[in-house]
Amino acid sequence: MKITNNQIEDLYQFTRKHFVYHYDVQTELVDHLANDIEEIWLENPQLTFEQARDQSFKKFGIFGFMDVIEAKQKQMNKRYQKIMWRFVKEWFTIPKVITTTLIFLSIFSVLKIRHSEYVLLGTLFILAIFDLINLSKLRKNQKKKEEKLEKVFLLEAMIEQTRNGFTGLTFINLFNFVNLTKASFSDLENYWLVLISFSATLIFILFYVTGYVIPQKAEELLQETYPEYKLVKNL
Amino acid sequence: MGNQKLFKGSLQTIILQLLASNEKMYGYEITQKVKELTKGELNITEGALYPALHKLEADGLLDVEVANVGNRLRKYYKLTENGSKETANKVSEMQEFLRTMQQLVNPKFSLE
Repeated sequence: MKITNNQIEDLYQFTRKHFVYHYDVQTELVDHLANDIEEIWLENPQLTFEQARDQSFKKFGIFGFMDVIEAKQKQMNKRYQKIMWRFVKEWFTIPKVITTTLIFLSIFSVLKIRHSEYVLLGTLFILAIFDLINLSKLRKNQKKKEEKLEKVFLLEAMIEQTRNGFTGLTFINLFNFVNLTKASFSDLENYWLVLISFSATLIFILFYVTGYVIPQKAEELLQETYPEYKLVKNL
Repeated sequence: MGNQKLFKGSLQTIILQLLASNEKMYGYEITQKVKELTKGELNITEGALYPALHKLEADGLLDVEVANVGNRLRKYYKLTENGSKETANKVSEMQEFLRTMQQLVNPKFSLE
């Protein structure tokens, strides 16, 4: 007996019910279950599709698909980081390194001004608001996708979510940072200022890359990561 | 099966070695092949196989290819260049380990 198209669709729903939300992970599991079910039918042709499916699922152990999801997540994290550094590195090579130096120098000169922490806080505040507006737009889009049960790939979801997480983290930490250093920046030694300016420049670039560059290149990156991406999206 | 624990640490080596002798394989095929080669003695569990495959892929040892087979998509794994090199290393490590274990478990007595 062979698995029918409807049963394949049922298997996709089955993986979703067992907390596998991303299409790339689902696909591999669906193929595995389908192969196994066909094998089970060879030995026990009297079993129904559901019985064979449950028998096959049991082989994944008591945690079900959890181990698979976790491993996949780890693998994708590594890949995401690689992609991120690839873009961040660009900012330290010609010609972008000129912009990087300019950012660094402007932060440094702002820090030299008296009461620079207020200038910094103000700038951060404006950036945060600007970014939050963008985020809420993105969230709406994401919700629409979820409602439509579109096929969302793991890396695709990560590109959107890392953006959220990273932005939040950066801002929360920077606010803390400014609050913690009660001493005003302009009184600090120059090497401290260089260090702070450099870190701030790096954070700014990371923020820009994860928040704007990678999402813009998402389509390209997804095609590079998933050989099946075009095939699936055109279905 | 009592020996499952013993072989868990060798899973990556087994996968790499299988892929070295078969150009490309998919997950289910690997479980079946191991069963066949060991005459059912070893059983790779699904919950261990895919995490191992994903880890090898993340480490750049495996590459993937997707094909449409009938009514579903199938993900094939194959060795990358690095993967081939690593296979040789891992296999010789494994052989070394087996020899050492052999000496520990089954020491040859001599009169010297």
